[in-house]
Amino acid sequence: MKPLPKFQYHAPRTLAEAVQLIDTLDNAKPVIGGTDLVPLLREAACSPSHIVDLNNVAELNYVREEDGFICIGATATHSQVAASELMRKAPAVVDAVSRIGSVQIRNRGSITGNLCNASPAADSAPPLLVYDAEVEIVSSGDTAILPLPELFAGPKINSLEPNELVTGIRFPVPPESSSSSFKRIARRKAFTLSVVSAAAYVEMDGGVCTEARVAFGSVAETPIRAPRVEELLTGEEMDGQTISEAAEAANQSVAPVTDMRGTAEYRRDMCGVLLKRALYTAVGRLS
Amino acid sequence: MEISFELNGEPVTVTVEPYMSLVDMLRAEMDVKSVKKGCEQGECGACTLLIDGAPVTSCLVLAPQVEGRHVTTIEGLEKNSLMIDLREAFIENGAVQCGFCTPGMLLSAYALLRDNPHPSMEEVKMGIEGNICRCTGFTKIIEAILDAVERIAPE
Repeated sequence: MKPLPKFQYHAPRTLAEAVQLIDTLDNAKPVIGGTDLVPLLREAACSPSHIVDLNNVAELNYVREEDGFICIGATATHSQVAASELMRKAPAVVDAVSRIGSVQIRNRGSITGNLCNASPAADSAPPLLVYDAEVEIVSSGDTAILPLPELFAGPKINSLEPNELVTGIRFPVPPESSSSSFKRIARRKAFTLSVVSAAAYVEMDGGVCTEARVAFGSVAETPIRAPRVEELLTGEEMDGQTISEAAEAANQSVAPVTDMRGTAEYRRDMCGVLLKRALYTAVGRLS
Repeated sequence: MEISFELNGEPVTVTVEPYMSLVDMLRAEMDVKSVKKGCEQGECGACTLLIDGAPVTSCLVLAPQVEGRHVTTIEGLEKNSLMIDLREAFIENGAVQCGFCTPGMLLSAYALLRDNPHPSMEEVKMGIEGNICRCTGFTKIIEAILDAVERIAPE
């Protein structure tokens, strides 16, 4: 039995209360699902003096459309997001969150937590990157909107100040002419980290791609977009040749490392393979 | 600190330190031993129980997080007809060997069939993806869950 380190527990009921706690308590850490935090506490990799549980803040639990954005509240679980009717407008996000962890993890863990942990392998990140997602942040008396790439400061390092709290994620409501897909490669199908992952977003006019965005996970210090690949796809007929060229460009535009889950060479090659699969699925979803 | 919640339909109040996990609180303070402790990292699923009906791994839940919630372990489903069908199907299909994974496995299977009474083989596999069994190789468990589907009395 590995005991948890000692901390004080706080369960605010309102956002204002939560912000005040995070701001005034020394060495405080917010928790949502705890699916990443609790193992870290057990390994003593993280030892906060205070835990601020956001799960009872009712105003942070939503998946809704507002002012032209799809908004996901901080405490919305993966299961909640996967089951949301609204999220069908962003299929890559559903692809990713409906297979994160296991049933038990998806019932507890949140997208906000997955992003704030800033793992290069976070499966919710590539799909949200291709939807140009932003992070809503509050601190005492202040609110800010941060483009998602700026949340990632390095492997498992986010750019938040200790007094800043993420209240939710939002991205523009995608147009009807758009679709997307998320693909990953892992050692097995269920409950494992991605060795490589890719998300593709396309807007189509007839057979022509008018807007393309692609992102990869587990190939850099943070989840990344691939602008060169996007340029190659935009304005092109979405045929086998274009997709093959994009896949080749994807291989060239990443610089992954070798670790226990896969080699750099394998990851590089798989970026192209996954991008192809993601593009074919995304385009197929529009027909 | 004092925590009040509903355990298997009964209101309970326990005094524990906030830095105790739910599985430790149930086993050490409340003598609920059906909830097993395996990996303590949310990976093995032996500590699976239902919070407000949803399966979760109780090693990743802090004890105070169940304040005001409904916690269900297999003891709470002893007379539940779906759980009875599942239990019998597990026994008759040889889906129980050492038994350590069984309570968690049964709860995941219960939540699956409650929400989706006619799952495909793939859906059954997904339903128990968070529960590891090192004896059966899963085949007999999957067969048992599919057999339970056949046993569920038509509504």
